Amino acid sequence: MKKTIKKALSCDNIILNLKSETKQGVIEEMISHLKSCGLLRDKEGALKAVLEREKKMSTGMENGIAIPHGKTDTVDSLIAAVAISRQGVDFECIDGKPARIFIMTISPLSQTGPHIQFLAEVSKLLRNPGARREILNAIKVENVLKVLKR
Amino acid sequence: MRKFFITFFMTLGWTGISAWASSSPQENDMGHLMTRLVLQLAVVVISARFFGFIVNRYLKQPRVLGELAAGMIIGPYALGSISLPLLNQPMFPRLEAVLPVTPELYGLAVVASIVLLFMAGLETDLPTFLKFSAIGSLIGLGGVVLSFVLGDLISVLLLPGVDSFMSSTALFMGTLSTATSVGITARILSEKRKLASPEGVTIMAGAVLDDVLGIVILAVVVGITKIQSSGTGVEWGKIGIIALKAFGFWLFFTVMGILFAKKLSKGLKWLKSNDAIAGVSLGLALFLAGLAEMAGLAMIIGAYVVGLSLSQTDMANELRERLHGVYEFLVPVFFCVMGMLVNFATLKSILLFGLAFTACAVFAKIFGCGLPAFLSGFNLRGAFRIGAGMLPRGEVTLIIAGVGLASGAIGQDMFGVAIMALLIASVITPPILIRSFEGSSGIRSKKLIKEDDKGCQIKLEFPSIHIAGFIRSHILDAFHSEEFFVHRLNLDSQIYHIRKDDVFITLIQDKNIIRLNTAFENKQLASLIVAEEILELKELLEGVSKLQSPDNICEELVTGLFKEE
Repeated sequence: MKKTIKKALSCDNIILNLKSETKQGVIEEMISHLKSCGLLRDKEGALKAVLEREKKMSTGMENGIAIPHGKTDTVDSLIAAVAISRQGVDFECIDGKPARIFIMTISPLSQTGPHIQFLAEVSKLLRNPGARREILNAIKVENVLKVLKR
Repeated sequence: MRKFFITFFMTLGWTGISAWASSSPQENDMGHLMTRLVLQLAVVVISARFFGFIVNRYLKQPRVLGELAAGMIIGPYALGSISLPLLNQPMFPRLEAVLPVTPELYGLAVVASIVLLFMAGLETDLPTFLKFSAIGSLIGLGGVVLSFVLGDLISVLLLPGVDSFMSSTALFMGTLSTATSVGITARILSEKRKLASPEGVTIMAGAVLDDVLGIVILAVVVGITKIQSSGTGVEWGKIGIIALKAFGFWLFFTVMGILFAKKLSKGLKWLKSNDAIAGVSLGLALFLAGLAEMAGLAMIIGAYVVGLSLSQTDMANELRERLHGVYEFLVPVFFCVMGMLVNFATLKSILLFGLAFTACAVFAKIFGCGLPAFLSGFNLRGAFRIGAGMLPRGEVTLIIAGVGLASGAIGQDMFGVAIMALLIASVITPPILIRSFEGSSGIRSKKLIKEDDKGCQIKLEFPSIHIAGFIRSHILDAFHSEEFFVHRLNLDSQIYHIRKDDVFITLIQDKNIIRLNTAFENKQLASLIVAEEILELKELLEGVSKLQSPDNICEELVTGLFKEE
């Protein structure tokens, strides 16, 4: 699984300073970033998949972490993005606190492969308060990547 | 019904025999050879299944005993040698060669033995062995060493013409004495819910070392026999080289297999089809079996090593499931053909030796495994249970005997002794084992009971068994779509093993409750997957409630079903 994390994440798909201040804005900004990196063909399809999942239940977890995700056949394989919001965003988290670290995954609907497993692995890394602190204090995308690929 | 079967088999036999008789009688004609093979195979498959069923259903004994008996009855030393009217020759003519059956039929039995040992390797529970490795090793070693020495010595003492501990016959009889087949024990303990008891896990751990040692000993003995048959006497230097080569081959391929099992499994997954993966895995077992034979060892060593290596991968259960059909077809053929090799005429003269050999083998296992168990903290009751659990013998004994017979190291008389020992051990073990497990604990020292690794459990209670079943099937689908291997333990219970690489999760549905057990580090994964599926259910229920008039839909569907035409 570590290999999937390594393969799916690179400096290109990490946003160090999110500008958006709303839940919808964060999701749109991350998807736009993936599109601009050339990882996404159909921005609208991906956005629809992630928002539909959010409608069922918010993916805001605890300790400032959110894991927006969705499945759509507009992607051929798992793509992922990591984003950091310095000010925090209300993501309807379970603990009511603002979310600051966002892990997004979009994977194909009709193919088998890790999707939840990817999120679970990254979440496992972020259970460590030290790792969260390092990511939040990172001034370069390389620092974030280093923590996630540990 | 019985009349139907008799008529059916008679018609089948008559038609087949007529077809064979009308074909070209040229002995070396390929068509004739193949016709003979398929007819023989038909008789073998049907008889093995029939006798297996009878023995299991009416005598309450393992099917394998019926399959062996079928071989003895239809084989070249019994009914098989009777000339059939239309055929003008017997169905199983007694060949004047080392083996009394045709090379084609024996070849199928060899392939069956490879499949058998591959599956045995695949079923090896290495983690349990490693957990109880200290006691397990002592018990396995004790049983193997004492069995080998006593099996060899009794042959030297009682068999005319066998005068040395190193003679190939004595060595083969020693090797025959070592093999344990804990399949019967595992089934009995599982039925009695004792498989997870300290005695149960110790027996299973001991059986792993027993298998490995037995196979390495066989490799060495085959090597020594080959040297002796080439006319050279006992040369300790050469024997040392063979022992090293055998152990080296086994160790090298096992270590490589375990180290590269994950890479191999990943490479196989590239095939994207579980049937293709199973086929290639079996192909690898055949390949390594051939390599082992080329290295001067027994084929089954290679097959066992491939099975053992793949047993630690996430696809082990899937492989077992996919190859189950091949196994179920070939294995009765193997036991039946082995039964055919029993020459009754030679049995009379070695009946006493056979009984003495069997008694020695039973004593060696009970004492050889029981003593280390007693010294390791079990009480007398526990030590006896472990010794009794190691008593059954089965396929490995037969394969060793077959290898010995084919190589000329043992004659048909000693092959008969091996079958006798197998039959007696298989018949006496179940009642002994069942009785021994009655009563109080078998442990003397509390240190023996190790705490299980701390894990976590996710428990979910649903309003009804139907909703629980619905969620269960969705959770399993979700794991499957994440490329996990999902294996249902048996059809009688809703217990599933879910595996991928190092992640291992057990899902149990007990009426309206679903439990997921896993290591603490996999809790996130299990929780997220279950949560996603419950959200799906929520969406589904909302969708159903939005149906404008479910009652009307149902009414429309059933209206007119009983209308008069």
